[in-house]
Amino acid sequence: MLAILLPLLQASAQNPDATQVMMKCRDLSITGSMTGKMNLIITEKNGSIRNRTLSMTSKSYEGGLEKRLIRFLEPADVRGTAMLIIDNRDIPDEMWIYLPALKKTRRIVTSEKGKNFMSSEFSNADMSSPALSDFSFKYINTDRSGDQWVIESIPASDDKADEYGFSRRISYIDKDSYQTKKMEFYGFDNHLFKVIEIRDVILLRDGKYMIRDMAASNLLNGRKSEIVFSYLSEGTDIDDSVFTLRNLER
Amino acid sequence: MFITTGTVSLLIIPGIKTDPDIRNYIPKSIGSRAETDKIESEFGVQDMIMILFSDGTMVSRENLDNIRKIDRSVSRISGVGDRISPFTVKSIKSEEGMMVVEPLIRIIPSDTAGQRKLGKEISENRFAENIVFSHDLTSAAITATLSNMVPERLNLQKIDSVINTETGNLKILRGGLPYIRKYLLEEVNRDAIILIPAALVIMLMVLKASLGTWHSVLLPFGIVFVTTALSMALIPLLGWKMSIITVLVPVILIAVANNYGIYLVARFQELVLRYPDLTKKELIRLLLGTLNMPILFSGLTTISGLLGLMMHSIIPARQTGILAAAGVSAALLMSLIVVPVMIYVNNIDKFIRKKKTRTTERFEKFLGMISEIIIARNGLILAVSLSIVIMSGSGILLIKINTNQENYFSDKHPVREASKMINSRFGGSQTISVMIESDILDPGVLNGIDNITKWTESQDGVGNVFSISQIVREMSKVIYTKDEYGYDRIPDTREGIAQMFELYNMSGNPEDYRRLLNPSYTKAHILIKLARPENDVIKLVKSGIGELSKGFPGKVTTGGYALIMTDFANSIIRGQIFSLLFAVVTVFLLLSIVFRSFKGGITGSVPLIASIIVLLGFMGFSGIELDAATALLSSIMIGVGVDFTIQFIWCYNLTVNSGLSFTEAVPEAMRTIGRSIIINALVVMSGFAALIFSGFTSIRFFGYLVIISIGSCLLGALIVIPAILVRYRPGFIGFKTNKTSENEKTNVYAGYPSATVAGVGTKS
Repeated sequence: MLAILLPLLQASAQNPDATQVMMKCRDLSITGSMTGKMNLIITEKNGSIRNRTLSMTSKSYEGGLEKRLIRFLEPADVRGTAMLIIDNRDIPDEMWIYLPALKKTRRIVTSEKGKNFMSSEFSNADMSSPALSDFSFKYINTDRSGDQWVIESIPASDDKADEYGFSRRISYIDKDSYQTKKMEFYGFDNHLFKVIEIRDVILLRDGKYMIRDMAASNLLNGRKSEIVFSYLSEGTDIDDSVFTLRNLER
Repeated sequence: MFITTGTVSLLIIPGIKTDPDIRNYIPKSIGSRAETDKIESEFGVQDMIMILFSDGTMVSRENLDNIRKIDRSVSRISGVGDRISPFTVKSIKSEEGMMVVEPLIRIIPSDTAGQRKLGKEISENRFAENIVFSHDLTSAAITATLSNMVPERLNLQKIDSVINTETGNLKILRGGLPYIRKYLLEEVNRDAIILIPAALVIMLMVLKASLGTWHSVLLPFGIVFVTTALSMALIPLLGWKMSIITVLVPVILIAVANNYGIYLVARFQELVLRYPDLTKKELIRLLLGTLNMPILFSGLTTISGLLGLMMHSIIPARQTGILAAAGVSAALLMSLIVVPVMIYVNNIDKFIRKKKTRTTERFEKFLGMISEIIIARNGLILAVSLSIVIMSGSGILLIKINTNQENYFSDKHPVREASKMINSRFGGSQTISVMIESDILDPGVLNGIDNITKWTESQDGVGNVFSISQIVREMSKVIYTKDEYGYDRIPDTREGIAQMFELYNMSGNPEDYRRLLNPSYTKAHILIKLARPENDVIKLVKSGIGELSKGFPGKVTTGGYALIMTDFANSIIRGQIFSLLFAVVTVFLLLSIVFRSFKGGITGSVPLIASIIVLLGFMGFSGIELDAATALLSSIMIGVGVDFTIQFIWCYNLTVNSGLSFTEAVPEAMRTIGRSIIINALVVMSGFAALIFSGFTSIRFFGYLVIISIGSCLLGALIVIPAILVRYRPGFIGFKTNKTSENEKTNVYAGYPSATVAGVGTKS
């Protein structure tokens, strides 16, 4: 009996609570403000590639509010198209989009966190920091090397599962840096359908970090999406006026 | 050897696999298949399942709760791809300058006012009305594509299990092509398991009633059984699969393979009674002397007619030709070898009825009466027959072609009910796809796509149409106000269109979008659902799109399952018409050679040609449509029509050669070969009566039509041919049938063809 229980007791003694790990991991990945230039590369199953260059500016506020301004730089057809996203913690996100060719700004109201981010394999939730209360967490000890925590996140309710679009997610978190290295997403009959790999990060002060290069592979449709930052600046003082409709239409 | 072949074949048969997907029946090189494959490689498989709900109102709390449960459970099946349901449809509307994108049903309304509001929102949402809710809100639908990474059978099993556990008070139907395929598979298997054995049992009983003893019955029946088993065993051995066409192989063999055995046994019975003094060996020589050549000729004609199917464009039709030809060859060989051997090794008494029954006497009296009528009224018979053929010929003009596989099922079949509901309330279950390859961002190209979309939408018989131009126009309605330029229009610049696409990327469902536009904006897809998926609508849409494509700034490809089905049915029908012509020409040439006369060839072809005209005319007048199954009747008619005629003319000729006059030869031929032909026809017709219980409407009609066609072949061979021979006394009658014919005047057994007796004399 003791022989059976001992490993479990040891594991319990060594590992902090899974929710605490996820909380620390989330806190380290949230930055106050940043500006950057990135490429969103979508590779279809047949090998055709679509590349968009975007500039992005974001700022976090107290209470979990986050604002982002994304502007298209390439391709030429959509140059100047811009989005202003207000990422609310508990109420549906708000999004404004400016279409320069039509000289129109429209507000889009959408509440689906599982929806694809700009038609890529990343979801809107992957691009933000979802509330921890939306999930329950537990360890899965499958990592042999012992330098990663393997934590399973399960949506707190059926509604949340519908919203996020998966039944469980397994995160591989580095024990030293609390950085997420990989996430696996499982469908509702427990099939693995998406894998996100964090390929490169920029280390900031106090252990915080920003993702510079990540890839999402959809195992169902064979598509792959990559986000690669060519320029990234953190902690710059960004004026609130950046996140206004006037600036969006500039 | 005979028994071993049958046993080994029976052991192999369980390994047969069935392929219900008609797409695989068509070679990849054929237009619609190649173009559909091309479109689907870009935009995914367009086959969709539909789960249909119906009740007094769909917007009640209880019904919506149930639909949501089922929708959620279906969404969690890994093999289910994209889904359109009342809970996935978005409401895109303009509110105080905002473009609001949200689920059509965010909260299920619990009171009447909320339900009324939801009903109004549904009627105003073009992506909801007639797509996920019917116009009158009495039915709702979940549409989903299935991933081809999971076997379709498993996907449907999982969906069925979800539906079966969560029905509530809703009436639920399942439809769409995957379900049509599933039911086709079930019905084909059911027909194969129930109807074929049933046909064999009925045949066995009729044979017993006709031939009297079990030994006489089991010989021809055993040949049918073994050759059918052998042909079916060839399916897995050749790496083929059973299809809705190859299921006709046993049917063809039941019709044809027993003929030869029946002729031999019936004739042997007659010879024994007529020549009680001959030894068994002499009787067998006499039997083969009179029958081996006509059996061989009719067998070879049937085999060559069936092999004509190898030139067919439809893969299972070619396979059917080969399998049926192999079966008929085996039946021919077995009949000419096994039947005489079995008779030889058994006691003669086992093949002979102890005494003539009253039925037999009545039968012989009946044949005598027919002969008298033919002799006395041959002119009238020919005039009436010609009138019937001419009248029937006018019915051919009324024949309709059915290319819609939904019509294979009876009106009350659940899949037919589902198809009716989909076609009348949800825009149609079968699809045509149009792919446009060009620079889709070019306003000229997108306006061209819009023109095709609008033209197609306005056509009678077309249900829902989905295209990227519709989405752009819908979005323009929320970007602009009604009085602004740009409202409900395609933007004038490529930048405007590109930015509209990006807006859709941000707000809509990118997976919907990918079904209509490729990521590099070089290919667009128009998906056309057919509310009336019939041949005329499909032809109209295809030709209309062809016209609109002329001068279009890009390449336009038209495909889709509806077109594949049309090509399939038309290929079957064309192929069968070709097979019939091939058979008629073959029969004509063969009979011309046998009778050494073109007149003989023409006379011999009369029953086959007349039967074809009568059959097609009957189909025209009765409204039975020509489809993939009914068109295959020709394969049976080739075998049966030729067989009866050759047998009768051969026997008649022998009778005339024996010294009887043209008039005297009629009752003699009627009494000998006429009896065998009638037994044959009765056995086959009664066997085919089993098809009347098939789950498929067209196979049921097939059963009726076989009875009519064999009946007309029978009347042609036994009434019309003797009437022609008696009236016109053609010169080809009197042709020599073997080397010993010189002796025919001197070797006469009373009333029997001397040539055959001479054969006995020279060989013994």
